[in-house]
Amino acid sequence: MLKKLLLGVLVGFYPYYCYSDNIAPYYGTTGNAAQSGHSWSMKDVLPAPPGLDINGVFYRYTANKNPEDDMKVHVQNKNANGTGYVFRDTEDWSGAPGGIEVRKVIGIGDIPREAWGDGSIEVEGTGTVDDASVIYSYKVDPCYDPQFSPSCPGYKTPVPVVPTVNLDDLYDATKDEFVNLNDEEKLSIEENEERLAEEEEKEKEEAEEKKRKYRLEKLMSASDTAALFAENQRIEQMNNIMQNQINNTYLAATIPGGQYKETIRLVDAKLPDSKAGLRNGLAQQILHEKMISQQYK
Amino acid sequence: MLKKASIIVAMSLFTLSAQAVDVPISGTVQSRCVITTDTPGTYGNPNAYTLTTAAADGGVQPIVRYDVTLADAYYAQITTPTSFSTSPSLNDTVSWTGSTEVSSVSDATGMAGYESAKTVSGQTTQFDLTATGSTWFKSTSVATNGGNKAFPGGNYSATIEAVCVAK
Repeated sequence: MLKKLLLGVLVGFYPYYCYSDNIAPYYGTTGNAAQSGHSWSMKDVLPAPPGLDINGVFYRYTANKNPEDDMKVHVQNKNANGTGYVFRDTEDWSGAPGGIEVRKVIGIGDIPREAWGDGSIEVEGTGTVDDASVIYSYKVDPCYDPQFSPSCPGYKTPVPVVPTVNLDDLYDATKDEFVNLNDEEKLSIEENEERLAEEEEKEKEEAEEKKRKYRLEKLMSASDTAALFAENQRIEQMNNIMQNQINNTYLAATIPGGQYKETIRLVDAKLPDSKAGLRNGLAQQILHEKMISQQYK
Repeated sequence: MLKKASIIVAMSLFTLSAQAVDVPISGTVQSRCVITTDTPGTYGNPNAYTLTTAAADGGVQPIVRYDVTLADAYYAQITTPTSFSTSPSLNDTVSWTGSTEVSSVSDATGMAGYESAKTVSGQTTQFDLTATGSTWFKSTSVATNGGNKAFPGGNYSATIEAVCVAK
C-alpha cells in the first residue's frame, strides 16, 4: 500500500519536474523605455522572444512645478487593439512643491505582449517631468511555441516540406530575351534543336519499324507452320493413295509356279552409226578445234 | 465499574486540594513603520571652517527611507546632528544647522503633500505619514567652526537620528 502511494506521488510530480528542469520560464527587465523621450514603442523596448508576458512596471521621475499649480502625470500604455489603455497610473501633484521624485512599483498580472500598445508619460496641467525612467519586468515562456524544443508539451516532430516545382517555370537561358546571343550562336541553338527533334522522330520511327517487323515475323511464322503442316498432310494422303493402288494392283496378283524361259532372240546384224549422232559429233569437233585455234591468235 | 471508581476518587482528591495556575499570554507586534538608511552622507569641505553635506560643496546628502504599511498612524521625526560623534580635538565651538525635506515618494498623490505639511522645531523636522508606502527623506547638515577657525585635520563623523513616532 505504501509503495503504491509513493509511486502515485512520483508519477504525479514527474511531469512538473520534467517541465521545470528543461524548459522553465525565465524573467527579466527591460531598459529605460523613457530614455529617449516621453513616448515609446513597445517593440523597441521588449526583447524578441515570443511568449512574453509583462508582469510589472517600475517608474520614477521628478515633478517640477510651482506649489500652486495643478498637475497630474499619467504613465501609460495604450491598448494594442486601439481602445483605451492596457496600463495607466496617475499621480496627482496638485498642491505639492516641485522637485520631488516619485518611485513606483506596480505589479501586473501577466499581460501578453500582444496587448501592449505604445507607451508614454503624459502631463496634464502645469509642470514638467524630468529624469524619467520606465522599466517593465516580464516573464518569458519558451514553450509558448511548442516547436521550440522536443521537451515542450505539444511538440510535433516536423515533417520536411518538399516543394513542388513547375518545370515550365525553370529558367531557360535560351528563352531569356536579355541574354545576348550573336546570330551564329542563335543559329547553332536552332540547328541543335532541329537536330534533336529529328533524332527524336527518327528514334520513334525506328522503334515503330521494329515493332512492325516483329509483328510480321510472328505472323509469317504462324502462316509457314500452317502451310508446312498442310503440305505434310497432303503428301501423306498421296502416299497412302499410291500405296493402296500398289497394293490393289500388284499384291493381289497370283504368280504361277514353274520356269520362265527366254523367248526373245537377237539375231546378229550390222548396226550402222546414226547420222544424227555423226552430225552432232562433227559439230562438236569443229567447235573444239576453233577453241584450240583461238588461243594462238 | 473500575472506571467509575477511578473517576470518583479523582474528583474527591481534586475537591480536597485547590490549586492556582498562571497561564502565559504572549504576542508579537510587527512594526508597521520600518526605517532604512538608503544613502549614507558625506561631509564636504568647501572651506577650512565649514563641513557640509550639500552636493554643491562636495558633500553627499544622507537619505533615509520610511516604509509604512498603516496609513495615518505615524510621524517621521528626523533630527540633524548637533555634535560630532567622532572628531579630532576641536579648537572652538561648532555651530550646527540642518534641514530635511522629502526626496522621493512611492505615491505622489498621497505623499506629495508631506513636504508642505512638515513642521520644524530646531534641528528636528516632523512629517505626518498619512499614506501607506515608502518615503525618502534627504537631509542637509552644516557644521561651522567658531571664529572661522580651520577645523583640525582628522576624521569627522556625525549621526542623523530618524524616529518613527506612533500617533
